[in-house]
Amino acid sequence: MLRFIASDLRRHWAGVLAIVLIVALATALGVAVTLQERALRLGSARAADAFDLVVGAPGSETQLVLSAVFLQAAPLPLLPGSVLAGLVADPRVAWAAPVGFGDFIDSYPIVGTTPALLDGMGGLAEGNVFARLGDAVIGSMVGMRLGDHFHPQHGRVGGPGGTHAEITYRIVGRLAPTGTAWDRAVLVPIETVWLAHHHDEPEVAVAGASNPFLHKEDEPHAGESPLDMPLQADSVADPTAPGVPAIVVKPKTIADAYKLRQQYRSDHSLAVFPGEVLTRLYATLGDVRTILSIVAAGAQGLVGAAILLVVTVHVVQRRRQIGALRALGAPRFAVFAIVWGEVLLIAGTGLILGFGLGYVAARALSSAFTSASGFALPVAFAAGDLVRLGVLLGVTALVASLPALLAYRQSPASALRS
Amino acid sequence: MPSLSLRGVEQRFPGLETPALAIPALDIASGEQVAVTGPSGSGKTTLINILTGLEGAGQGAVDWGGTDLARLSEGARDRWRAANVGLVMQDFHLFPGLSALENVLLPQRLAHLQLPDGARAEALRLLARVGITRIDQPVETMSRGQMQRVAVARALAARPGIIVADEPTASLDADSGARVAALLVELAREAGATLIVASHDARLVGRLDRALRLDSGRLKD
Repeated sequence: MLRFIASDLRRHWAGVLAIVLIVALATALGVAVTLQERALRLGSARAADAFDLVVGAPGSETQLVLSAVFLQAAPLPLLPGSVLAGLVADPRVAWAAPVGFGDFIDSYPIVGTTPALLDGMGGLAEGNVFARLGDAVIGSMVGMRLGDHFHPQHGRVGGPGGTHAEITYRIVGRLAPTGTAWDRAVLVPIETVWLAHHHDEPEVAVAGASNPFLHKEDEPHAGESPLDMPLQADSVADPTAPGVPAIVVKPKTIADAYKLRQQYRSDHSLAVFPGEVLTRLYATLGDVRTILSIVAAGAQGLVGAAILLVVTVHVVQRRRQIGALRALGAPRFAVFAIVWGEVLLIAGTGLILGFGLGYVAARALSSAFTSASGFALPVAFAAGDLVRLGVLLGVTALVASLPALLAYRQSPASALRS
Repeated sequence: MPSLSLRGVEQRFPGLETPALAIPALDIASGEQVAVTGPSGSGKTTLINILTGLEGAGQGAVDWGGTDLARLSEGARDRWRAANVGLVMQDFHLFPGLSALENVLLPQRLAHLQLPDGARAEALRLLARVGITRIDQPVETMSRGQMQRVAVARALAARPGIIVADEPTASLDADSGARVAALLVELAREAGATLIVASHDARLVGRLDRALRLDSGRLKD
């Protein structure tokens, strides 16, 4: 019987291949949707792990999380410097670090912060944290090396803006990989970001230095460049320091976390657990996934119906052959088994191939996304996927019995006569 | 080898007033070689189908060596036919994509979980006997005469007690037809099987013991 099935499939190889591919593509669609949504959820959840509590100015909680955790550029309102100073001094806080958005270098965002955040994000893979104003630490995926120098650019490559040629940062360290957008960031002392934002205000002084971002070509350069000045911890703890759009806080205990969040949810500030905000985002994502899954299931259903039609027509066309088999002594059950076996083999191969294709497609999409954003999207099968495959195979087996039954019931005499 | 004792068989098709087949009595002895002749539409194929159990007889008895086919269910008739009848048909009905040997063995493979002992050896012997040397050749590349000879080997492979041929030479040229006719008669004689041939072929009919003449579903003597 297997020999007969094999020779049958070989003879009709073009049609068999077409059906296998159609089934595979329809299945791959559904599988890729499921895997990609799961990857997005897992990846973003991991990204939020390092951020226990984020404080920002009143506004959108979602935007605060997207900017502070995922480094999505957006114009956020600023918190006054007193807030950061208060948090740094708070006994319930293990550490608090500002996150300020500055310029870009190539397509990498320049983010101003303090050394506390570098440790909080998993520490350095090589080099040192910044000690001078002009030091920079790069993320694990940034394409520069220790010791490189660069000039910040106002906008992204291809966008409007210019280069601050008078400012030169020096890379002194590289962050350990985090699997988040921070892998593509360049971290600099927040003080330099403040100075960059106030480049038209010569009276603003930070760390006791004059502003090196000022566009004043005729000013004679003092002996020591301001960027060589060492970092001073109290410049951040100064309540009169310029504002920042977000502060990442590491509370000492869970109880402290809740109390801090309670305290900073007011008219003047916003405090969120990124995990909670993300959960709300997932609810929306879940709806999108449901719709996409229904569409994909619809596609699979249509493909299934089309294949059923093709197979049924095929069985009818082979009436004479089936009649001959019966006349020669093949029991009805053997005829049923041959038709059922062929359909199951073809559709089953398509299903399994589809799972493989869907996985490959999801992986490809993920790595494209990661190289663009630095955000890792882990693609992985779960136990539920295996159950789904089993169910699909079961449904296929059931549906395959319809044309098989048709062949079973054919009377050999009338089939031979036709 | 079974002998036939057929009584009171009438086969009607819906919508037709007169029965397609009406035979009050027919006896065929074990090992006898019988031709069934008659014009088209005379009921030859219907008679063949009833004798082999492909069609169920509406009434009467079709007794082969103690087994009355008219009393059996469709599945039981299939099983009986697989064990007792070798069939040769006008259009050969070999399966393309399979070799000559595979075609000869196919009915037994489908009827049993495992090939019975000695089946392969018997198949090889029969293929040699009918003059097919390239047994692994896919059948679709063979000539029509070769194909029908493979079909004859297939019919005898399971050592059936009854061999039935429905117009075995009608699709062949004169020479191939003569060869196939000779093989059919000789092999049936060698096996001691009862042979029933429905045919227009005068030379084939002439080689058999007896000729039944059918006209409008009735036997004419």
